[in-house]
Amino acid sequence: MEANAEIFFEHDRWGHNLAWSVGLHLAVTGAILLYGFFGPEGRGSGWGAGGGGDAMGVTLVSTIPLPANPQQTQNIVANESKGLSQSQPKPKEEEPEAIPIPDKNAKTKLKPKATATQRKPEPQPEPVEEANNVVPFGEGGPVSGPYGVFNANGAKGGFGFTGGGGDFGNRYAWYVRVVQQKVSENWLKYEVDPRVTDARRVYVTFDIHRDGRPTNIQVEQSSGVPSLDQSAVRALARIDTFGPLPSDYPGSKVSVEFWFDYKR
Amino acid sequence: MNFQVSRRRRRWLAHNLITNHRRFIGSIAAIFAVVIAALLAVAAAQDWIKTGTGLGVERIRLAVPDFKASNQDPKNTDLLRVFNATLWSDLDNAGIFDLVSKSFYPVEVPGNPAEVKFEAWNTQPTNAAMLAFGNLGVNANSMVVQGWLYDVKNVTSPQVLGKQYTDAATPDAARATAHKFADEIIFRLGGGIPGIAETQIYFVSNRTGHKEIWAMDYDGENQHQITHLNTISLSPRISPDGSRLAFSSLTKGGWQILMYSMDLNRLVSFPHFGGTNLSPAWSADGGRIAFSSSRTGDPEIYVVDQSGGNIKRLTDVKGPDVSPGWNPKTGAQIAWVSGRTGLPQIYTMESDGTNIQRITEEGYAVSPAWSPNGQFLLFSWIRHYGPGVLGGDDIYIMDIVSKRFVQLTHQGGRNDFPSWSPDGRHIVFQSNRSGSEQIWTMLADGTNQKPLTVSGSNTQPNWSWK
Repeated sequence: MEANAEIFFEHDRWGHNLAWSVGLHLAVTGAILLYGFFGPEGRGSGWGAGGGGDAMGVTLVSTIPLPANPQQTQNIVANESKGLSQSQPKPKEEEPEAIPIPDKNAKTKLKPKATATQRKPEPQPEPVEEANNVVPFGEGGPVSGPYGVFNANGAKGGFGFTGGGGDFGNRYAWYVRVVQQKVSENWLKYEVDPRVTDARRVYVTFDIHRDGRPTNIQVEQSSGVPSLDQSAVRALARIDTFGPLPSDYPGSKVSVEFWFDYKR
Repeated sequence: MNFQVSRRRRRWLAHNLITNHRRFIGSIAAIFAVVIAALLAVAAAQDWIKTGTGLGVERIRLAVPDFKASNQDPKNTDLLRVFNATLWSDLDNAGIFDLVSKSFYPVEVPGNPAEVKFEAWNTQPTNAAMLAFGNLGVNANSMVVQGWLYDVKNVTSPQVLGKQYTDAATPDAARATAHKFADEIIFRLGGGIPGIAETQIYFVSNRTGHKEIWAMDYDGENQHQITHLNTISLSPRISPDGSRLAFSSLTKGGWQILMYSMDLNRLVSFPHFGGTNLSPAWSADGGRIAFSSSRTGDPEIYVVDQSGGNIKRLTDVKGPDVSPGWNPKTGAQIAWVSGRTGLPQIYTMESDGTNIQRITEEGYAVSPAWSPNGQFLLFSWIRHYGPGVLGGDDIYIMDIVSKRFVQLTHQGGRNDFPSWSPDGRHIVFQSNRSGSEQIWTMLADGTNQKPLTVSGSNTQPNWSWK
């Protein structure tokens, strides 16, 4: 008798445990769902999204594109950068010749001398060269004209073309645009150390030959972050050609100075 | 107290418990089903959202008014119509321009540099950055086309290109001239990468009743038959210099690799190997051909010289190894499909067979195609392979270095055999989404998908190298 009662009692406890088990299963499932909604994304789904190691080289044209990152506008304040304009030495003001105090005897003689001295033409102030590259306040560095600046995935870059009389950018704005586009396509952001969030500007110089090859790629001023410097150099090294230089451009090559700002 | 329960009561209690139990389990199962469905929906949605648009790389706003007639010859009208339509579609398809719609153009369009009015083009509503214009005229039996490309934002020195073409006065020549001019513009403004307007696509078509190799222009024009073998011919691959076409065909001696000379317009000799020989692939310098052969019983990857000699075996693991493809940039790596673990997966190895790396980890992956710059791999993938799983064959693109991938087609159905254009901006593939197997083309980011063929069943496209 007692045994029978025990059996039924056991069944009840079994139901109770089952309820606990089901409840825990639901809790775990709910946690997984929440994790799926709010947790970090896994492999394969992070390409291009969020600010982590994006492959910038993927675009509409020669590579595939990625969802655009929200652009962070940079607060342009005075920062460390190379100045393009040299500080002009102050034009030396010639001291007026000291007019000796005339003797009483030589009063009449000196007067015409004095006037002659005064009529001597003032030393012309050195003509201030108007830099045809307008340097925005606080930035210095190469040209930041409308064609020289680009934004790529939160980073900013800019160009200055030297060699060619300084007006290469004016005459061949379309070629500058091609250079800008190719570099921004080939710069892979995931090559930069992911712990870096902000970096000083890196300046890179290179030459473009007649046939469009970039050569002589050098880091002129480091940003202090070796992986950023390297990624800038590799972006340029990855490019085979920008297309031949314009046919009516007289030089055999054009030098380009190129800066990168990095912000994750 | 009587704990002894009657048998009937016991049975009733047990029945109750079991029923309650069942109901309980049933409700739990229902909840789980809902939860799983929700998870699936979320997962599927995440796959879709990932492909986006270009990141801040702006397309060039290009205005292309119709070319004008330079004289009164009556043949001008027809030729102009073909020329203008071809030029427009070549520049539209290039993938780097934003063609300004013709409804925004000023009323007067220039035919030569003296007639260009810059303010009309570089201000609203046209707001163009570049202008391509020119004229066409027939003189005796030859056609002279003059074309210019102007940077209309640079009034002092606007000329980027100035070209003159002379050719026969036929519509085909007009089309060819338009292709040449479009390629020049794309070469200049696209960073030194030649345009694809003069490239060809080779494919398999059964519209004559047998599967033969056909060819067509990159835009679907001029489709013509190449082989007349009256058997099954598959997987055409043109050589890098365009002189020879390798394909696999069912001959009297089984499946063999055949070689067709485009210069001589006939088959040329190529050795026959034992077993089933399929899917030839040219190396970038045209010196070697990789293919799959089952001469030892199990399909393995072999490499031969372009004349067929010096055969070397590269793979030796049990399981089918098929569909090789060379890295066109380095010529030192081969991607292929291997079933050594069961379902077909994509692998890469060095061209001597060493350093085997697995690229795909799951599903059913076939047809690898390297991008011309060697950075990306296209393939056709059923990511979640299994009975009752939604989704079909889709084209995916993967960055080799980071192993990250993006799905390019989403329509379901079968999308297979992708092939890159030589400029790396376009992809041609086969799809059955229209009901029959046809050749489709799209930009390398998956946009602008459109069919190139409509009649019969057309499969296995291969884009020429130049």
